[in-house]
Amino acid sequence: MVLRKFELEAKLKDDTQLIQNGVLRNEHPFDTSPEFHNFLMACRRGDLKRCQELISEGININGKDAYDYTPLIIASLCGHYELVQLLLESGALADPDSFERERAVYNALNNKIRNLLLSYDYSKTADPLQYWSTHITSLLSREIPPTSDITLSAPSEDFHLHKFILSARSPYFRRKFAEAPDTTTWKLSHNIPVEAFRIVLRYLYLGDLPRDFVTPRSAVTEEEVFKGIDKLCKQLEIDKLWEAVLSNDRRLARQRQQDEVARAQGQISAFFRDTVLKHKIEVDTRKADQVKWPQHNAIFANVLLQADEELPEDDSASDNSAPDNKDESPTPNGGIPIGPAASCSKPPTTFPKVKPRRSVLYPAHKPFLIRSPYFATMFASPFLESQPSDYLHTIHVDCTPPVLEVILSYLYTETSTCPLEHALELLYASDMLLLDALKSKAAVTISTLGSGNTNALVDRTHHHPDGSSSVQKVEQEPINVYDVIHAAWDLGVQRLEEFGARYLASRLEDYIDEPEFHDLIQESASRLKSREETDTIELLDDIRYYLGERFRLRFEGEGLEEMLDEEHLQDEGEYEGLDMEGPDVGLEELAMTMGEGDAGYVGNGDEVIVEGVDREGDEDKRGENGEREGQGVVTLDGVVVEDEFASDAVNYHILVEKIDRMLEKLKLDA
Amino acid sequence: MASRNRPRPIRRPLINKEAGGFDQCWATLQSAMTDIHNKNASKLSFENLYRASYKITLVKRGEDLFNKVKEFETEWFHNHIIPGVDELVRNNLPSIALIQMTTSSSHERREAGERLLRGIRKIWEDHNTSMNLIADMLMYLERSCAETKQASVYATTIGLFRDHILKYGLKDVDGSDQPFIIMDVVIAVVLDLINMDRDGDIVDRNLLRDITGMLEQLYETDEEKENEKLYTTIFEPRFLTASEVFYKAECEKLLRESDAGSWLRHTRRRLLEEEERCVTSVSNFTKDNITGVVEKELVLAKMDDFLAMEGSGLKAMVDNDREEDLGILYQLIARIDKSKSTLKTNLQSRVMELGLEIEQTLKNTDFSTPTAAGASREAEDGTEGADKPKALSPAAQQTAAAIKWVDDVLKLKSKFDTLLENCFSNDLVIQSAITKSFADFINMFERSSEFVSLFIDDSLKRGLKGKSDEDAEFVLQKAIVLVRYLSDRDLFERYYQKHLGRRLLHNKSEIHIEKELVRRMRAELGNHFTAKFEGMFKDMELSKDLSTNYKDHIRNLGDDDRKSTELAIHVLTTNFWPTDVMGRGVLQDGDASRADCIFPPSIKRLQESFYKFYCQDRSGRVLTWVPSTGSADIKCYFPKVPGKDSGPLSKDRRYELNVSTYGMIVLMLFNDLSDGESLSFEEIQLKTNIPVSDLTKTLTSLSVPPKFRVLAKEPLAKSVKATDKFSFNAQFVSKQIKIRVPVISSTSKVEGSEERKETERKNDQTRAHVVDAAIVRIMKQRKELSHTQLTTEVISQLSGRFKPDISLIKKRIEDLLAREYLERMEGDTAAYRYLA
Repeated sequence: MVLRKFELEAKLKDDTQLIQNGVLRNEHPFDTSPEFHNFLMACRRGDLKRCQELISEGININGKDAYDYTPLIIASLCGHYELVQLLLESGALADPDSFERERAVYNALNNKIRNLLLSYDYSKTADPLQYWSTHITSLLSREIPPTSDITLSAPSEDFHLHKFILSARSPYFRRKFAEAPDTTTWKLSHNIPVEAFRIVLRYLYLGDLPRDFVTPRSAVTEEEVFKGIDKLCKQLEIDKLWEAVLSNDRRLARQRQQDEVARAQGQISAFFRDTVLKHKIEVDTRKADQVKWPQHNAIFANVLLQADEELPEDDSASDNSAPDNKDESPTPNGGIPIGPAASCSKPPTTFPKVKPRRSVLYPAHKPFLIRSPYFATMFASPFLESQPSDYLHTIHVDCTPPVLEVILSYLYTETSTCPLEHALELLYASDMLLLDALKSKAAVTISTLGSGNTNALVDRTHHHPDGSSSVQKVEQEPINVYDVIHAAWDLGVQRLEEFGARYLASRLEDYIDEPEFHDLIQESASRLKSREETDTIELLDDIRYYLGERFRLRFEGEGLEEMLDEEHLQDEGEYEGLDMEGPDVGLEELAMTMGEGDAGYVGNGDEVIVEGVDREGDEDKRGENGEREGQGVVTLDGVVVEDEFASDAVNYHILVEKIDRMLEKLKLDA
Repeated sequence: MASRNRPRPIRRPLINKEAGGFDQCWATLQSAMTDIHNKNASKLSFENLYRASYKITLVKRGEDLFNKVKEFETEWFHNHIIPGVDELVRNNLPSIALIQMTTSSSHERREAGERLLRGIRKIWEDHNTSMNLIADMLMYLERSCAETKQASVYATTIGLFRDHILKYGLKDVDGSDQPFIIMDVVIAVVLDLINMDRDGDIVDRNLLRDITGMLEQLYETDEEKENEKLYTTIFEPRFLTASEVFYKAECEKLLRESDAGSWLRHTRRRLLEEEERCVTSVSNFTKDNITGVVEKELVLAKMDDFLAMEGSGLKAMVDNDREEDLGILYQLIARIDKSKSTLKTNLQSRVMELGLEIEQTLKNTDFSTPTAAGASREAEDGTEGADKPKALSPAAQQTAAAIKWVDDVLKLKSKFDTLLENCFSNDLVIQSAITKSFADFINMFERSSEFVSLFIDDSLKRGLKGKSDEDAEFVLQKAIVLVRYLSDRDLFERYYQKHLGRRLLHNKSEIHIEKELVRRMRAELGNHFTAKFEGMFKDMELSKDLSTNYKDHIRNLGDDDRKSTELAIHVLTTNFWPTDVMGRGVLQDGDASRADCIFPPSIKRLQESFYKFYCQDRSGRVLTWVPSTGSADIKCYFPKVPGKDSGPLSKDRRYELNVSTYGMIVLMLFNDLSDGESLSFEEIQLKTNIPVSDLTKTLTSLSVPPKFRVLAKEPLAKSVKATDKFSFNAQFVSKQIKIRVPVISSTSKVEGSEERKETERKNDQTRAHVVDAAIVRIMKQRKELSHTQLTTEVISQLSGRFKPDISLIKKRIEDLLAREYLERMEGDTAAYRYLA
């Protein structure tokens, strides 16, 4: 459903009106900062990597520039499907009721993007924190696994609550619990009706406030409840509750709820940093099991998570140093003193010359950990971890400390920024913890950032005069594509499989001759065969597909091949110096003529290939030369052809040929 | 070669992928599973176990792990559980023996059965807990199973319980070769316990619930299809069959030993019990099915037998107003059958029976003496009843019969209304059924239309004077109820018109009540039905105005001559009023026309004067004088009788006599006579030209009853004969000054059979015209129509007035064909075309 133009204009007017009246918040603020400008430029180019970087730096994804463009509109206008997807997944607003969504749909370059936009309805984008806040609300009533560490008891009802959340949300509780961290029960005042408590608690736990504060059965009047709420607001220092209680307009209430959730997220993030991250303990791995925390501690942690550093390269060295380390650690009663004050007394950081394997222990809170089904089951089942004990259980998580921090930050606050170097590990770890959302985030990180410095998957056989090619020359591969594909297979991440295939296709000339690549193809083939009898090799099919896309993309769509072909015969000379946006040419035909023209390539099989490989290193130089001379370009096998179309054609054929040759060698049928 | 330099900054994950890991991990898991079964789970680290299963699954050996787990569990069953089960069942042999229904005391049986079930429950619960833990432990594998749409670990391992325990066959029991399947034993025990529960023993319901709950959690296959629960596929059918057997026996026992009332109560209790059982002992899913069984076996199977029971069946319930029984009966039947056909037909036939009974009693009752009903009515009336003659005239007898009939019908109606409200929760189906039966038997009674009209007549004339509006309202309601049932409404209309005409002319009833009644009839039956009645009311009003205007007119003329005679006139529109009132019936007989009735000259002058006045604004109208329905006030002067010194006769007496118009004409004759002269009947007839029958009535009323004997008759006999002579009765005396001489013909009475035939004949004639009109109306609109369609349409058009006879319609069509309103279609004789 796309609105008509006049409807669109009417909608804009309505939206503006509402914003001017202060009814609605402007969700697309005007933004003139250079960063935002860069962001929009990246959106124009379709630069996935840059966009992802900017988004993770926290750029306002819903801002608009002087021409009322939002990133989403730009991206759909310029036809970058992946980018549109990324923007939507990262929280670009596509509220079906909004002018901006309609405009993006209106402007979408093709139907694919248009349908993508239409398929994103409000529920998917409205509130990235929705699951997080729902989880917190559910803690109020959730009984399995038991996570509550404090009971507030009113005369008629007991509330099982969480000190961590209460402290984070209310300054009053924070002070009280700081004074007496081992409180486990709390008598509530008789003077305040229990209904008022219930509402205050729902507010603290981010739940919806009930429409009617007093049920017909309750013994108190609405006024008394209001008074009670008022008193509690003052006492607990949560003045915003009044606004919540008083707002009754639905749209406003929604907006308020969003604000409140965002505020709560801020509070909990801050508290998370203050408690969990500040109190992490770095110890020698061997001594990690000696760390003891009592159950009731000042930061209300009820479990310890352990993550080990990477194994040092030299195992024997760490073995030797272990005994020394043991002697040095100041562990009075076999454990480490606890509490915020005591936590400064980490083991002294005097390391022997050979560094032993280190571990980091994070104090954590069950209410948040159980967002992972892994932890939820762990604490719900009657295994060792859920048994009561004097000291906190230490749970080993199979990943490095930085990755664990990313995971914790995600569990506590829903925010996660994952640097590329940890992405693959995060992928595995979140898979193990059964955190699907985080897993797909890691996959997105890899598939967007992992594609090199410049525009994703750009064809490197084309060289731009702006000099970026010289940067590319010394580029380090940001990822190990073999690992990525293996991870994709291990964990069943379709997105990464596709990404791997695209990646390989875009620089096949670099990989085609590597033995690892051959092994990979072999593995892909065996993967399939073990599943079912089939002749296709999935990975190779994908590579072929993307290869085709890489070379043919520019030639599709115009349907003028024949006409152009005639022109081509009449006036070959005109093609010289045409840039990429020039008229299209019937590629196949061109390739045929060119290919056949080149006797050496067709005739001499292996030799040519070898030659091609050898010359690859020179291609850039040659390319530059070619461009300088304005005399066409060099193909992979080093032959100079008239222009880029010709070179594409030849290159394509060379690569396909190579694939076939490889398959022959591997004795695979495909 | 810079671009070939590809450092790989991403660390490989920590997971150890060595193939050797599998055995090691499996060993960990295996020992953990043993611990779990031994309830040592709290010593196990979830973290480690999960990691082990995770590792295995990650290297794609999940399937191997899956199979190993299955193997382990199977072995565990064989080594640790089955011996215990075997022993358990063998030790509780009595409960096995119950399959053969050998005799053992129910107490023993129950003890043994419960022991067995407790044992099974314990094994099941242990297994279930263990399997939950194992499924938790293998969570990662569970996930990958879900992705590949395989049956989950939990489902499979739970399924093992079914395969290895429940389907385990116990051999060599009781010396029979057939192995006992544990599941059969368990179910048999459960069913036996349930039956004991039904018989009133106290059994452990929670235990039963747990066992059925177990069957609910197990499926036929590991795919866990929702409709393949063991509970649904195996237990429930057996449970239902067993219940069927149980209730069939119980029902027969009830039929032998109890009456319908206790049957109803028992059934209701059983239904509640079974519903409760679905909460306490078996699954709630079975609720509909088990209550279905009870309904089928206890209610439906022998319902007809119970309903027909002498002394407690439906008849007795209805007759004795056993509302509770009927209420239960209704609830039970409503559960089974939405249309409630059994109850409906039974009630309908009962209504018919009772209705026909009323008719029967009517025929057998002798109305020559006032019946109980009549007596009570008269008692209500008070003054009038006291000095009524003991023996009623035949006409009055008929009236009494009509009133009794109506009373009985109304009583019956109110009885069923009460039942409907109290027992059948005003069920619409039942209500319409009863209504239909009422209509049926009322219409079967051929005189119903007349009786209803008579009843209304009687009530309005006699009953309502001096009664409150509420009573009037009550009568009106009853009247409407009855009218609603009538199907030959045109016949009723005819009677009602007749009766209403008399009431209006003789001013016998209160006009506002009459109007109210007609208004209600209009609401019930439609405009066309009441058009004539309303016309009659209108005539009455116009006439009243007319009379006053005429009076004014006379006064303005200042003509003193006619001062002595006042005229109150009713100008009646011919169409609105019944024909016999208008005297047309007489005309058709070719008898002497009423125009020949000779009025005394003074009256004649009055008539002429009025006609002149009337035609002042309405020229061209013809007024016909109808003396048969009018009345006149005459002032009579009786001189004192000579020779009487005392008593009333000694004085001059003046009386005001209210007599019929005919009576007035007759009396006026005697003005011209001198004392002692007399007139013979024939002379009077000759002088007045009053029809013989009317004259007889008039003279009877003036000469026979001693109270009104203004004329002396010779000879003194009760009936008036043509040879009698009449003279002025100077000795007449009365306590009242104003004397109302009753007009015999004004009393509405039931028609004699000949009269009725006459009425029906007239009615049929009218019907023929109405049918004609309907046919022509329809054909004019449709142009062409088949015979059957035409018939249906005619019937539907006329259904508001009467139910036309098919043969009548056919006759009318033929008639219309002959008169060339219609023609038959060529080639299709069963269709007609309208001829314009």
